[in-house]
Amino acid sequence: MIEELKELARYKDLIRQLVIRDLKVRYKNSVLGFFWSLANPLIQVATIWLVVKYILRLEMPNYSAYLLVGYLPWVYFQMALLDSSQVVLTHRDLLKKVYFPREVLPISVVLANLVHFLLALVILFAYLMFYRLFLHGAPIMMSALWLPALILLETLLITGITFFVSCLNVFYQDTKYLLSALLSVMFYLTPVMYVAELVYVRIPEAHRRLLYHIYLANPLNMLTDAYRKTLLPPFTAQAMRGMKISSLPLDYAMLGVAALVCLLVAVVGYKFFNSRKWVFAEHI
Amino acid sequence: MNPAIRLTNLTKRFKLLTEKHGSLKAALLSFKHTPSRDLLALDNISLAIDHGETVAIIGRNGSGKSTMLRIIGRVYKPTSGAVEVDGRMSTMLDLGAGFHPELTGRENIFFNGAVMGLSMAQLRSKVDSIIDFSELADFIDSPVKSYSAGMLMRLGFAVAVETDPDILLIDEVLAVGDAAFQDKCYQRIESFKAEGKTIVFVTHDLEAARLVASRAVWLDKGIIRADGDTISLTEDYLAHRV
Repeated sequence: MIEELKELARYKDLIRQLVIRDLKVRYKNSVLGFFWSLANPLIQVATIWLVVKYILRLEMPNYSAYLLVGYLPWVYFQMALLDSSQVVLTHRDLLKKVYFPREVLPISVVLANLVHFLLALVILFAYLMFYRLFLHGAPIMMSALWLPALILLETLLITGITFFVSCLNVFYQDTKYLLSALLSVMFYLTPVMYVAELVYVRIPEAHRRLLYHIYLANPLNMLTDAYRKTLLPPFTAQAMRGMKISSLPLDYAMLGVAALVCLLVAVVGYKFFNSRKWVFAEHI
Repeated sequence: MNPAIRLTNLTKRFKLLTEKHGSLKAALLSFKHTPSRDLLALDNISLAIDHGETVAIIGRNGSGKSTMLRIIGRVYKPTSGAVEVDGRMSTMLDLGAGFHPELTGRENIFFNGAVMGLSMAQLRSKVDSIIDFSELADFIDSPVKSYSAGMLMRLGFAVAVETDPDILLIDEVLAVGDAAFQDKCYQRIESFKAEGKTIVFVTHDLEAARLVASRAVWLDKGIIRADGDTISLTEDYLAHRV
């Protein structure tokens, strides 16, 4: 694997070219260009916010901030995975003609989506500043310094999964359909629209600690929770549908576990991909 | 001195893909086991090509020419046998393969070069000579979707040769392009040879083979049927075809 990483490092300029090309081509013939990659999640967030606040009438102060902070990392996860399912097939002509480390393809997809994510975070910070200045609601906290580490962990996780997805889709084109079905389920199971504390209080008290830890061992749950807890202040304890819900502190031990899982997924994904990458050209 | 390319007992076997491949259902149901048919594309081939040689690979469709070129170019892994290559390889990408239609000619030069493993710094120092050779200076900042097939081929050839490889692999693409540019390509290939570089090209154009290569290898159903002087070998090949 060390040899393969060295070879990959030699092709870092190819990764850069692929990322630049992806960003350039995606919005080449659209008037609003880059705006679209920001507009889509914002429209989604606005819709969920409206439904939750005015139709479900769930009372939670600053819900929009909590929602946005959970939603942007989700979009990064979802878009990178969906894009990666097709990336080997769309480069079939190249794959059949030239040698290059095949993993540059899924990696470049992840990095292009990372760029979108980072831009969306700029919007998020502007939004949080607005809150601080005018509404004194959700100030930006020192714990936001954790953000780069969280982004790195999520990127590792996503890269690992895209290795599986992009590889499997070469052999079984069902992969992309299965993936989009799974993603739409996962959207509801991950604490994006709601906070993880809601899951915590729903677990029967007898098994609460254990089951909640298992829940947080899923790195996507843990990271979504951690983004919120490092960027936003704890929400005020409140009664919600007959349950008293109060904010839990960030579970650093479980964050450590999630970090290990992310790393493991990345390493296993890379090995899986490498063991099959040289037969892609024969299969597409 | 090591040869530029050495193939030792090289065998390549493909599983023939059937309609049923490529879906999860097929994989799950495959305990019914439809035996997959194999195709022996290259059968125990040994070949050495020295530095400075220009070799034409000829043979009918399906004889294994492109497979052999792809194994040399590290696109396919051999089923068994060894491939040794001494020097930096460059592949002439055919029309469209290495180009994105929405990007300009200049952007595509950088992309194409990066695919071949060159760094941005190396490409920046070569981009002018590439543009110069391609004679596309007036169009270089337009998207390549507006290029003709001939223009694409010129750009592809320019990137492949001007990036200064030790070994150049060409798969049947020199046919496009006007006569004047073809001459220029052949001249460039001559100067390439003079610099002691190695060229392997697959072609059906026996005229081109005679013009460029002193040695030819005739592949037939995965084995080397003949290997030798281009003039006499192409005559045999023609005689055999009728």
